Amino acid sequence: MKKRSYLFVALSAIIALSMLLAACSPTAPSVSEQEPQQPTQSNDSSLSSVEEAETPVTISFWHAYNADVEAVYLEETLIPEFEAANPDVKVESVLVPYDQFRRKLLIALSGGTAPDLARVDIIWVPELADQGALANLEEVIPDFATYSEQFLPGPLSTNLYNGKHYGLPLDTNTRVMVYNKDMFAAAGIEKAPETMAEFLNACEKIKTLGDDKYCFADGGTYAWAVNPWIWSFGGDVTDESISTSSGVFNGANTVAAYQFLKDNIDNGYMHPGMLGGGVDSWGGFGTDQIAMLLEGPWFPPLFGGQFPDKEYGMALMPAGDGSSVSVVGGEDIVMFQQSDKKDAATKFMKYLLSEETQLKLVSVGQMPVLKSAVESDTIKNHEFFGIFLEQLTTAKARTPHPRWSKIEEIMTNTGSAILNGEVSVKAGLDDAVSQIDPLLPLE
Amino acid sequence: MYRRKKNFNTIIRYLLATAGAVLMIFPFLFMVSNAFKANVYVIEYPPKLIPDNPSIENFISAWTSNNFQLYFLNSALVALVATVGTVLFAAFTAYAFARFEFKGKEILFGLMLIVLMIPDMISIIPRFYLARSLDLRNSLWGLILFYIASGITGNTFFLRGFFESLPKELEEAMTIDGANPFEIFFRLAIPLSKPALATVGIFSFLGNWDEYVWALTIIDKPAKRTLPIAIYSFQGQHGTEWGLVFAAMIIALIPVLIIFISLQRYFAGGITSGAFKG
Repeated sequence: MKKRSYLFVALSAIIALSMLLAACSPTAPSVSEQEPQQPTQSNDSSLSSVEEAETPVTISFWHAYNADVEAVYLEETLIPEFEAANPDVKVESVLVPYDQFRRKLLIALSGGTAPDLARVDIIWVPELADQGALANLEEVIPDFATYSEQFLPGPLSTNLYNGKHYGLPLDTNTRVMVYNKDMFAAAGIEKAPETMAEFLNACEKIKTLGDDKYCFADGGTYAWAVNPWIWSFGGDVTDESISTSSGVFNGANTVAAYQFLKDNIDNGYMHPGMLGGGVDSWGGFGTDQIAMLLEGPWFPPLFGGQFPDKEYGMALMPAGDGSSVSVVGGEDIVMFQQSDKKDAATKFMKYLLSEETQLKLVSVGQMPVLKSAVESDTIKNHEFFGIFLEQLTTAKARTPHPRWSKIEEIMTNTGSAILNGEVSVKAGLDDAVSQIDPLLPLE
Repeated sequence: MYRRKKNFNTIIRYLLATAGAVLMIFPFLFMVSNAFKANVYVIEYPPKLIPDNPSIENFISAWTSNNFQLYFLNSALVALVATVGTVLFAAFTAYAFARFEFKGKEILFGLMLIVLMIPDMISIIPRFYLARSLDLRNSLWGLILFYIASGITGNTFFLRGFFESLPKELEEAMTIDGANPFEIFFRLAIPLSKPALATVGIFSFLGNWDEYVWALTIIDKPAKRTLPIAIYSFQGQHGTEWGLVFAAMIIALIPVLIIFISLQRYFAGGITSGAFKG
């Protein structure tokens, strides 16, 4: 009896200790100290369902392509085609849901198990480069200077950090105004608003259709939603050198932009979903509750799948004092410093960036980033890319800064406080500036 | 007068129970109804509970979509093995804490409670390191072992209380008859604890079947993914096919219902016999 109870003590102690140790391990060392990833092969024979041959090099490619259209095209058309042309390289496509992408990537990086390539949101590149996670492509690709000339300069610049390129653009997009033709006709609006004054005019008419009809809706007060308004009013988040937000984010133009949004919410023109909490804007648009949305090039194929018969038009963002300025979105392709298969990864990267592949990706709503592709007949005759390309000529990128996620959080909270009426526009923005300014200097 | 008051109370009780039931079941019905709608009608306003043109299209495309069946199988394997492991080890540990006297027993128990209070998110990077150094990444064992480890603490706490409430006299009788502690544990304590073990089993299964963050973190190989990740992947960055998501959720619900219904008689038998008449 006595002997056995020792056994139990030992067992319990091991369990308790192992869990305690798991909880108290030292914090993660910075990513740049990590050794290149060792290819680990899982050895669970009983549970394993796929065995891979060792001979060709397998590279992993993480992305957040949409599962039912884009990822299917990548996995069933593009990758097989690439592997047929390059028998020495196999590509493992890993779909990571967008919401969790950044976290999973950061954990993998700290554990030294990052993928070889990833398609990442353009706003994540400075942060990842700042951590030393990304390979400097100017070193990986010997003829980088000439190779990079074929890309559109705007999307290419989203990969710059400290004067070096840590990625290449993969696709680009921006938001334009889509408007509900039925609601415009019912309210007697003849054409899409081109200026802020015309936008207000249209909203007044839409409101006469009923109290539950809204002129415009968006999902919240994050930069993707709010910045087109700030920029079109001539405001911005920081000055051009990204050294201060004082006098810019709380300057007269930005104040005017937030005041405009607040008035529209108070008048019932804009859907209260923007205050936070969001709204099913596509459902509202499709069922004639909402007249206008800012949408990207994915809208026609995906919305068309849900509401095949709904008629809508597309127009540029209404112009204010700063003319018509929308926000640049899109994805970059980056290679990780930890990768020990950089040559194979470069092959696949160049394949995805070839003119042929870029034009193929058009069929799933991806806008190409090559100058030659944009000039091609496929794009010139495309049914809706024209308006997006026109908007892109003036569109701006969100502040490229490694602490952008923090800055945006401050913007989102400030915007929601202002629109909810918890704080006046000027006071709210002054407070935001005092929080953003200390984040800007980099040591 | 007394009778009337009793009737009145009964009516109130039924009303409250009905209201509660409607509240609980409405989101579920909404999910079921949306799963049967073609995508165009999913987000219609006002919402309709009974679809105009019900179709099982969503179920077919969810079930036949990329690797969905494999993920289902992976999830089933992980959840079953991890649940059996959790129940077994938690019962061992709890019985030791309930019936044996040894040095530092309460300190050890306290340590386990402390572990219980650490939020999962805090230890995710250390756990990831552990999994990597044990070569458990990209392996279903990486899920199973960690699910068991994290399941033991809470369930030990729960089962210890239950084991302590069992009459000690029975065990003493068995000891006198010459039974050793293992025989007492397997022949007496376990059979008497079916309701508690069933409860632990159901909740472990539910937790293991649903778990998302850890599975997403340590599994990179598409062939080793589990169902929650597959369902989450149906939600795109820019647009979501809700019909598909709801259909996938319902498919995922079936094993949970089977487990619940098959274990229900152990842990809710006493309650249900009085609750439903005829």
